[in-house]
Amino acid sequence: MLQGLRLQRLPSVQPGIALAMRALAIAIVVLAASIALLVAGEDPIALGAQLVSATFSSTFGMEDFGLLVIPLILTGLSVAVGQQIGIWNIGAEGQFLVGAFAATAVGLFVPGPAWLILPLIIAAGALGGVVWILVPTLARAFVGVNELITTLLLNFVAALLVYYVSTGPWRDRVGMSNSSTPRITVEMPEFWGLIHWGLPIAILMALAAAAILAFSRWGYEVRLSGSNPSAAAYAGIAVRRHIITVMLLSGLIAGVAGAFELAGTVHRLQGGISNNFGYLGIMVAVLARNSCVGVIFTGILMAFILNSGIILQTQGITTSAVLAMTGAILFLTAIGDELAHYRILRAGSTRA
Amino acid sequence: MNATQDRYIAAPGTAPLVQLKGIAKYFPGVVANQDVDLDVLPGEIHALLGENGAGKSTLMNILTGIYQPDAGEITIDGYAKEFATPLDAIAAGIGMVHQHFKLVQAFTVAENIHLGWSETPRLASARKLEARTKALAERFNLHVRADARINELSTGEQQRVEILRVLAREARILILDEPTAVLTPAEARELFKALREFTSRGNAVIFISHKLDEVLEISDRITILRGGRRIATHDTSECNPRMLARLMVGRDIVLADMRQRPPGAAPRSAEPILRLESVSALDDGGKTALHDITLDIHAGEIVGIAGVAGNGQRELSHVLTGLRRIASGRIVVDGAPIGAGDAAAFSELGIGHIPEDRLRSGLAPAMSVAINAVMREYKKPPIGSGGLYRSGAATLLAREIAKAADVAVPDFAMPVRNLSGGNQQRLVARREMRIAHKVLVAAYPSRGLDVGAINTMLRYIVELRDAGAGIVLISEDLEELLNLSDRIAVLYEGRLMGALENDKIDVEQIGLLMGGRTVRKEAA
Repeated sequence: MLQGLRLQRLPSVQPGIALAMRALAIAIVVLAASIALLVAGEDPIALGAQLVSATFSSTFGMEDFGLLVIPLILTGLSVAVGQQIGIWNIGAEGQFLVGAFAATAVGLFVPGPAWLILPLIIAAGALGGVVWILVPTLARAFVGVNELITTLLLNFVAALLVYYVSTGPWRDRVGMSNSSTPRITVEMPEFWGLIHWGLPIAILMALAAAAILAFSRWGYEVRLSGSNPSAAAYAGIAVRRHIITVMLLSGLIAGVAGAFELAGTVHRLQGGISNNFGYLGIMVAVLARNSCVGVIFTGILMAFILNSGIILQTQGITTSAVLAMTGAILFLTAIGDELAHYRILRAGSTRA
Repeated sequence: MNATQDRYIAAPGTAPLVQLKGIAKYFPGVVANQDVDLDVLPGEIHALLGENGAGKSTLMNILTGIYQPDAGEITIDGYAKEFATPLDAIAAGIGMVHQHFKLVQAFTVAENIHLGWSETPRLASARKLEARTKALAERFNLHVRADARINELSTGEQQRVEILRVLAREARILILDEPTAVLTPAEARELFKALREFTSRGNAVIFISHKLDEVLEISDRITILRGGRRIATHDTSECNPRMLARLMVGRDIVLADMRQRPPGAAPRSAEPILRLESVSALDDGGKTALHDITLDIHAGEIVGIAGVAGNGQRELSHVLTGLRRIASGRIVVDGAPIGAGDAAAFSELGIGHIPEDRLRSGLAPAMSVAINAVMREYKKPPIGSGGLYRSGAATLLAREIAKAADVAVPDFAMPVRNLSGGNQQRLVARREMRIAHKVLVAAYPSRGLDVGAINTMLRYIVELRDAGAGIVLISEDLEELLNLSDRIAVLYEGRLMGALENDKIDVEQIGLLMGGRTVRKEAA
């Protein structure tokens, strides 16, 4: 250790420092990417300017960007809600896919007027998400099986299920594509340009979740159970019941995200419909420090990063570069969260 | 008390196997050991007797190289030694079997024996390791199943593996920390036989315990520690339980008697307010931790529960507060039986609980002071009505509790762990006192607090008693129990030994009960 200096570990982190650490993590990654681009013979500043202008100065750019924001806010919210009670829902990806799958089933096979079918599609998506997290939930609540593993593994099952139905029994026999279902007949009404009503609804859902957690008895009990389960048990709170409801709610939100993506953006079920939104939702939640309001902003940030990748592709830069960047941001944020616990003291300082 | 096997007689003038001189060890604010001398002779079983916190474990951690002493000398076999690491101590022939075994559950016995051992062959098949293990087992006459996995073994067998592990490394001094705590009586007899055989070859055993009977049965000499200092060393043949109990717990009792009621205090009620009828309960591992407990708590009295920690205190406090289901028996509150295992129902009935580990179970350390302060009352107006949680009202209540607890809180939104331990405890105590109209269960309320904070806690408890609540005070501190309790019961191995009126009790008697001797047995 350096002479005259020593490190002190603080038990809790001040939110301001944690946010600064996140900004720093992003700045470091942007800097590193810029250097990599320079070495590769590109002009990072010009590219950056191009990214901003391509996203925000045209309707097309804004639409593409906005359509990415919706699923990212919702999957981020799904993860953040689980974290309120200490649950890591790594399975938002699978719940998203099954939500989209269930929504497709209603969209393809239930006839009726749009005003009836659309709510049914969303309800089906919600139900799909709930069903997909049900087994991990019960296993966690009653037998103590770690939800990280169960929710993660079910993602692969969901991906194969969607791939199977969209290339097999439900494939589009009329159109040219063999890899997706036919277009469903109803769609989410538009809110602004191509951006559908999913955007305001997603933001409202995040705000509502935050309000319920902060201002309801249920929210108090959930937060206490998440912070210290044995203290919650001591206070007479039914921790297990809360774990079940919170996990199901987490799955429900991811399922709704899948239904929105299907009915609002893609309109037909296909293998890659989830676009890693479930996994990116983990990042969105981590960057937001599991704040339900925070995911609105980090969802927007993540959408910008994702959209940048798509634009960069037109410049001949591979999308894997963006995946690497998001990974590096998450990695540095994790380090930053740990560092935020420390402060440097001069030797002889008696402040404790 | 007479060994049946031949005792090893050291030649006159033989150096002690272990000689500790003037050992001291200080931790911030605590003197763990001071001026401790200890001689362990070849061929003897030397018992180390003392209450929790008497300094036994620290002393043994120094002897095994885990801690370095702040003062004093260690001499092994006549040579001065310094143990920088546990490996040095092992090389000097010192081995310790901890109370909580340090075995890899998923490994076989042979693998555990050979783990981290310089003599383990570099290329070793499972069969070879098992053969080596069998040979070792025969050599030391400790029967183990070399190919069994640890998690298939009983605790007695696991202990044998631990001992074999130590002996295989050529230990000449075997330290056992509370070895019989986990054993059945038959297993304990096995163990004693093995120890006798070990010492008959000129080796020595240091036997840490607080059980008087077994210490008298197995040991040759006894050293008593109290408050980090050596109080006495005696030949076991000169000892009797009464004398050991006095040496172990008989500090000068400061008679600050808090049992006097001020005028106007609530009298002790005729009918019990809380009653346990033949209650048995299991611990977290599914073993019976409480056997057939019957206990009456009257309003306006303090019932002290003495005993060495780990004898069922945790389970008893859980049962009394609805945190743990009971296996059999009945809990009656104010004449009406209540279903056990519903903490919310207990607290709504007016039973408060100062838990033994406030940070682990009484508070959510990362959450705000306000959230923690209202843990018992968030369902009631003004904080909770109509399913809401009004954080403004919560802060007001938190302010009130902090004021009663005399805790200065700069910011009610800051995490409660930023408060000092004493302030946390006062906050918890005040929070619980608000709801404890009938009973307060206080488990080790003064543990880890400084003298001032302890006095405040005890004052709170007396105040609540005078307001007419029944108090169950679980403590290891006899002084505290004698000063406060109207009656004292002792928990020993999950059984409640007597609930004696404080006037008719003396320290020695409690010491005997804590060591597992019944009063009648002693009188006979």
